[in-house]
Amino acid sequence: MRLAALLLLAASANATTFYVTISGLGGEPDYDQRFKMWAEDIDGSLKKAGGDSKVFTMQAPTRDKVQAQFAEIAKQAKPDDALVVMLIGHGSYDNVEYKFNIPGPDMSGAEIASMLDHVPATRQLIVVTTSSGGGAIAALRRPNRVVITATKTGSEKNATVFARFWAEALRDPAADTDKNEAVSALEAFHYAQRKTTEFFDSSKRLATEHSVLEDTGKGEGEKDPKPETGAGRLAAAFPVVRLGANAAAARDPNKKALLDQKEQIENQIDKLKYEKAAMNAADYKKQLTALLLQLAKVQEALEK
Amino acid sequence: MTSFETLRRGLSAALLLSVAAGAQTIQQAETLRRQHRFQDSNNVFQALEKKSPNDPEVKARWGMLFYDTHRQEDEAAKLFSEALELKENYPLALYGLALLAADTYEHKAGDLAKKALEADPKFVPAQELLARLALEDNNNSRATEEAKKALALDPKAVEARAILATIDLLADKKESEWDPKTAEGYETIGHFFTLNRRYEEGIAYLRKAVELDPLLSTARADLGVNLMRLGREKEAYEQLKTCFDNGFLSHAVKNSLMLMDKYKDFETITTPSMVLKLDKKEAELLKPYFESEIQRALTTYEKKYKVKLQQPVQVEVYPNHADFEVRTLGMPGLGALGVTFGYSIAMDSPSGRPPGQFHWASTLWHEMSHVFTLTITGHRVPRWFTEGIAVHEETAVSPEWGDRLGPDEITAIKEKQLLPITELDRGFIHPVRPQQVIVSYFQGGKIVDFITEKWGWDTILAMLKDFGANESTPAVIRKELKIEPEEFDHQFFGWLDTQTKDVVSKFDDWKKSVKLVVDAVGKKDWDTAIKEGVRIRDYYPDYVEDHSVYELLAKAYEEKGDKKAATADLVAYVKRGGRNPDSIQKAAKLLAEAGNKTEAAAVLERLNVIYPLVNPAHRELGSLLLDQGKAAGAIREFHAVVANKPLDPAQAHYDLARAYHLNKEDEKAKDELLAALETAPGFRQAQKLLLELSDEPANPAPVKK
Repeated sequence: MRLAALLLLAASANATTFYVTISGLGGEPDYDQRFKMWAEDIDGSLKKAGGDSKVFTMQAPTRDKVQAQFAEIAKQAKPDDALVVMLIGHGSYDNVEYKFNIPGPDMSGAEIASMLDHVPATRQLIVVTTSSGGGAIAALRRPNRVVITATKTGSEKNATVFARFWAEALRDPAADTDKNEAVSALEAFHYAQRKTTEFFDSSKRLATEHSVLEDTGKGEGEKDPKPETGAGRLAAAFPVVRLGANAAAARDPNKKALLDQKEQIENQIDKLKYEKAAMNAADYKKQLTALLLQLAKVQEALEK
Repeated sequence: MTSFETLRRGLSAALLLSVAAGAQTIQQAETLRRQHRFQDSNNVFQALEKKSPNDPEVKARWGMLFYDTHRQEDEAAKLFSEALELKENYPLALYGLALLAADTYEHKAGDLAKKALEADPKFVPAQELLARLALEDNNNSRATEEAKKALALDPKAVEARAILATIDLLADKKESEWDPKTAEGYETIGHFFTLNRRYEEGIAYLRKAVELDPLLSTARADLGVNLMRLGREKEAYEQLKTCFDNGFLSHAVKNSLMLMDKYKDFETITTPSMVLKLDKKEAELLKPYFESEIQRALTTYEKKYKVKLQQPVQVEVYPNHADFEVRTLGMPGLGALGVTFGYSIAMDSPSGRPPGQFHWASTLWHEMSHVFTLTITGHRVPRWFTEGIAVHEETAVSPEWGDRLGPDEITAIKEKQLLPITELDRGFIHPVRPQQVIVSYFQGGKIVDFITEKWGWDTILAMLKDFGANESTPAVIRKELKIEPEEFDHQFFGWLDTQTKDVVSKFDDWKKSVKLVVDAVGKKDWDTAIKEGVRIRDYYPDYVEDHSVYELLAKAYEEKGDKKAATADLVAYVKRGGRNPDSIQKAAKLLAEAGNKTEAAAVLERLNVIYPLVNPAHRELGSLLLDQGKAAGAIREFHAVVANKPLDPAQAHYDLARAYHLNKEDEKAKDELLAALETAPGFRQAQKLLLELSDEPANPAPVKK
C-alpha cells in the first residue's frame, strides 16, 4: 500500500524505536529453553538491523523489573518514537482477565496496558505470543496501537508456536513481501500466521492457536487483516525491522523531484490495480508494464 | 441421537400398532425382516426385548437385523455382546461377532466361528463362515471341506453352495454344479471375485444378485462401491443413492456418497496415457511431478513387462487420508498408502501424510506395477506375487526408494515367523499379528528379488503368464523354478539369511546402544554420541527412521564444528533412503556451503519424490540449477514455489522470470516480472531485469499528472 510506504518513510526520519522483548516462565526446562531461545533470536535480529533503536531483552523478569524498565523507557521516549513490546511464554485467562506468567506475581493485561500508556511514543505495537493472548486484546487496544496475539481468544490455552515464527519473520527477507527493505507489523503477522498454520497442517495436528491483529483501537482482533477492509492499515505502516537502507534517499533534498515522481507513479499503479477487475486484461497488462518501466527508471535515477 | 439409535429406540406408534395386534414373536420379527419391513421388524424386536430382557435370542437376532439389513456394526456388536452376557457361548451371538470380525479381516473371526460351532455343532452359518474364511486365504481344499460339512448339515445351505461355486468359477469353469441361483449366493460370489481383484466379473455377479432381489441392499452397496473403485462414478452414485433411499445407511454407503460429492473439488488432467485427478488446492504444484513419474513408469513398465496397456491409467491423489480410505473401502490392510483397482489407482497425496513418512513416487510405481501384473494375468495373479513384484519394483527404480529392512521384519526373520510361499497370501488377508501384513509385503518383495537374481526376470514374466492361466502357486513354482515349494522355501530362507544375518545378529546390541546415543545427544555429550554412534551405525545401516544414527551423528559432529563429517553422515542417510525433509535440506545446505552444488542439487531432487511441499527447498534447488545453467529444472522448481502459495510471491515470480530468461523465453519472463512487480512495485532486482528485457532507455519519462 502506498499509504503504508509513505508513513513508513516518514516515521523513519528521526524517530527512535524502543524494543522490549520479555520471555516468561516456561514451567519446565523444555519451555524455559524454548522461550529463551526465541527471545534471543529476536534480540539478535533487532541488534543486527541497527538503526535508531534501543533494544531491551528480559529473560524471566519479575513484575518489578518489568515496571522499572518501562518507567525508564517512558522517561526517554518522545511522541515521534515508536514502542515495540513482544511477550513470549505462557499466558492464562480466567474469563475476566489475561495474565502473563512471569516469576513472582503474574502481570495482568490491564497492568501491561497501563505501562504502555505511560510511554509517550505515539506509535505502539504489542505482540502477545503466549497462550490465551486473545484474552488481552480488550485491555490492550488503543488508537495508534497495533495489538497482535497468537490466539484468537483467551480460551485457546495450549502452549503456542507463534513466537517461533514471529522471530523468524524478523530475520527472513521473505517476510518483506513488498520488497521495501523493511518488515512491517502486518507483513510479520502474515508471515508468522502462515508458518503457524503450516506447522499444524504438516504435522497433522488440530490447530490450537489462531492469531489475530487489532489496530483500530476498538476491534476484537482480525484473523485476516487487510488495509483495504480497514483492519491492518496501521500495522502495514509500522516497520518492525529494517532490512536495508531504504530511508536514505528520503533524506536527500536533491532527489525530491524524483521522489515526487516516484510517488506519482506508485499512486498510478495503485489506482490501476484497483481498476483491474473492470479492465480488459491486455489493456491492464500494457498500462501496468508502462508504469512499472517508468518506476524502474525513476528508481534507477534515484540510486545514481 | 444417531440414525441407528433413532431406528432402535425411536418407537413409531403407528408402525408399532400395525404389528402389535397379535402376540409378538421372534418368528414375526424374522418374517417382517424377510419382507424387507425392517422398521416393523425392529419395532417387534424392541417390544420383545422389553417383554423378555433376559432372552439372548432376542438380542442376538436383533443384532443380526442391524448387521444384515443396515451394516450398523456398532449397534449389532453391542447387542451380540449383551446376548453373550446373558448366555455365555450363545452360538448366534458368537457367529454375529465372527461376521463383524470377518468383515475387517480379523484373525479372531475363525476362532469365534469355531466357538459357535462348539456350542452348537449343527449351526450351519458358522460352518459356512469357516468355508468363507478358508477361501479368503485362497485355501481351496479347506474351503471345499468346510463347505461340504455345511452341506452335510443342510443340503440347501446357500452360502456353502456359493463358496463351492466360487471355487469353480474362479478357476474359470464356465458353469458350476453348485450354482446357488439366489441373490445372496451371487452376492457371495461377487465378493470373492472382487476380493481376488477380478472386478468386472465381481460386478457382473453383484448385478445378478441385485436383479434377483432389488432390495438386497448389501449386494447393491457392494456393487456401488466396486463401480466407484473402477472410476464409474455416475452409476456408482446411482446404486449407492438407491441404497441410501432404501434406508440402507451403512458407513460404506454414506461415506462413499459424501466422497463422490467432493469430486467437484478435484481437477482432472487427461492425456492419451493417463487420467490424473488432483485436488484443486494442490493440482498446480503436484501436476508436473506426478505427470512426469506416471509417464516414466508407463514407459519403463511397458518395456519391462512387454505389454502395451490398452487404456489410460487413472490415478487419483487424495490429500485427505480419510477420503482415500473411503475410496478403498473394504480392502484389507489398513494404513495402506495406495490401492489399485484394475486401471484405476487411488493413493495418498504427499500432503496427506506427515512430512517424511511417505515416499509418494515409490507408492506410485508400486501401484502402477499392479496395473501391469493384473493386466497380464487377467486379474488372476495371487496377492503375494503381485505385491512381491510391486515391492521389488520400488527398489528396482531406485535403490533408495523402497522401504528399508525394518525392526518388524528383523524380528520376524529372527523368530522364524516368515510364511511358506504357498501360505503367504494368508499373511496379507488374515494376519495373526498386526505386523504380519507389512512383513508379508517384505517377504513377497524379497522372494521376487530372489527369483529375479537366481532365475532371471523372464522367469517372473513366465510365472505371470502361468498365473494368468489360473495355475496355482505350487504348480507355477514346479513348472518355472523346477523345484518343489518346500525346496524353494529352503533355498529362499537360506538366501535371505545370508543377506540379513549381520543385521539380525547385531540388532539387540544396536537397539540397546542407539538409546545411549540418543541420551548422549540429549545431554549434549557429543563425544560419547560420536564414539557410540560410529561403533553401531553400520550394525544396522538400513535404519533411517526417527533417531537414525546418521542424523544423531551429524548433529554431534556439527556441534563439534566438524561440518565435513556431519555432511558425510547426512549424505549417507539420504543415500540409504532417509526421508526426513529437514535432514535432506540440511545435507543439501552443507554440501552447497562446501561448494558441492551439483551434489546439493541431487540431494534436493530427492525431496521432490518424497515431500514436494517445502517451498524453501524448491527455491534452493531452483537456484542451484540456475547456477548450473539447467534452465528447465530451474523453471520446474521456481514454478513449484509460485504454485505453492509462497510467503513471498514477488520473489517467487522474480525467480521464475530469471529461469525463463535463462531458457530464452523472455516473454514468459516478462509476465513473471509483471506479476512480481504488481505485488511489490519497488522490487529493485525485478525492475532491473524488466528494464533489461524491455530494452528501454535509462532516462525516466515525465509522468502525467
